[in-house]
Amino acid sequence: MRALWPLAVITYKEGIRNRAMYGIFLLALLLFAANFLICGMIMQEVGKVAVDVALSAVSFSGLLLVLFVGINLLAKDLDRRTIYMVLARPISRGQYIWGKFFGMAMLIISAVGCLGGCALLSIASVRWAFPGYFPRFALGPVVLALLLIALMLILLSAVSFLFASFTTSSFVTLILTIISYFIGHGVAAIKALVEAPETVGIEVSTATVRLVKGAYYMFPNFSLFDIKIQAAHNLPVSGTYVAGTLAYGLIYSALVVTLAGLIFSRREFP
Amino acid sequence: MISIEGLYKSFREGLLGRKVHALQDVSIDISPGEVFGFLGPNGAGKSTTIKILLNLIRPDSGRALILDHAVQDPMVRKKVGYLPENPYFYDYLSAKELLWFGGRASGVDSRILKSRISELLDRVGLQAAEKRHLRTYSKGMVQRAGLALALVHDPAVVILDEPMSGLDPLGRKMVGDLILELKAQGKTVFFSSHILNDIERFSDRIGIIDEGRLRLTGNLAEVVSRGESLEDVFMRTIGAGEGGVRQ
Repeated sequence: MRALWPLAVITYKEGIRNRAMYGIFLLALLLFAANFLICGMIMQEVGKVAVDVALSAVSFSGLLLVLFVGINLLAKDLDRRTIYMVLARPISRGQYIWGKFFGMAMLIISAVGCLGGCALLSIASVRWAFPGYFPRFALGPVVLALLLIALMLILLSAVSFLFASFTTSSFVTLILTIISYFIGHGVAAIKALVEAPETVGIEVSTATVRLVKGAYYMFPNFSLFDIKIQAAHNLPVSGTYVAGTLAYGLIYSALVVTLAGLIFSRREFP
Repeated sequence: MISIEGLYKSFREGLLGRKVHALQDVSIDISPGEVFGFLGPNGAGKSTTIKILLNLIRPDSGRALILDHAVQDPMVRKKVGYLPENPYFYDYLSAKELLWFGGRASGVDSRILKSRISELLDRVGLQAAEKRHLRTYSKGMVQRAGLALALVHDPAVVILDEPMSGLDPLGRKMVGDLILELKAQGKTVFFSSHILNDIERFSDRIGIIDEGRLRLTGNLAEVVSRGESLEDVFMRTIGAGEGGVRQ
């Protein structure tokens, strides 16, 4: 841990000061402002729309953070050989991956914390303008949804580290991470569909079922972390579900980063 | 102090994966407190040897030891300072933060580190720019920050890859004085260069490497004792004739 902490700190500082962060935060602020305008235009289910749009803005901005800041934090080290200054210290390649990951996790938590605060302000401003549309609003589920968004982004970041551990191009890492994100978000619903095709009146081949099941077990299930609808409608989310999802996210992330570290340990930096 | 025994290293190049031999049977022994100048033309294998010493790349065969420990052990690098050729550092960190990282990652106590950072930044002439982001530094300033980073944990062994590269005359003087200071402190210095004058000024012993093979090692005084200049010895050793063209 003594070697990991300094690396995590400089990774965090390098990330938080990156100019791309300004762009992402500006976009998020525009989305929060748009939330007010959208709610003003539709004038239906305003409370639910306000929460849904605000949480989606946090989730989308966080996704951009992982894809365009997180992946670059690792890729730049390899492209520009800044990794030399790290590996010239008593830090193994596996510790390097963990240190960078902890720095990235700190960056995600801070960013989601900050964006989450703005999202709550955005919801509060809509609530102030249209108080009659928030009969069932509760803060707890929104904060819980923000927590799960942060965990989903940490897991996505871990997956991007795994890809970066064996690819030589940051572009390939980016593409593979985006593919994983989309598969991870949709595969649970597709699996449910192909396992019971008669419910929607379609036929599915055995090969397709196997393929979808393979993808289900190979990619992380990001849809587990999405409780925006429950937060928007103030629907109950069981403690077991939250604990299970937290454990799933943390254990999956740890396994993926460990695997990334093992693969990275074999690499050379000529 | 530094022991390199029978190192071989090859790389695959191009679409067909042509094998290029970067190092062939390189063996060097460097004693404690010695300044060893590693000389060779571009692409001779100097940086490859250094990267093996830092475990950035692994040899195909042979072994490298620092302070009697295999270089694969990360803990060895607690006692090793390294300046890469053309160093790059994090854009948005200041020199102070860079040195903080170097010191803390090498296990330096935070109270000692604070004064050490201040002293080193003053020594390399970066005190006035200590809070500026490294992306605003000139090439020479980055090189100076790299030198300070290599020394922040007071290493017993200092490995410098082309330390004078990109420095103005003042910077070159500063690096030269630093190497002499390290020597006076009893540190072991391994530095590579293709600038003969630098090697001649600071080294106790030299090694000349060419096309991946160590062509000559010896005490500087003995190598240039027969009325030849280091340039004559170098040209003869790598088989270059008039005008620096290889025979």
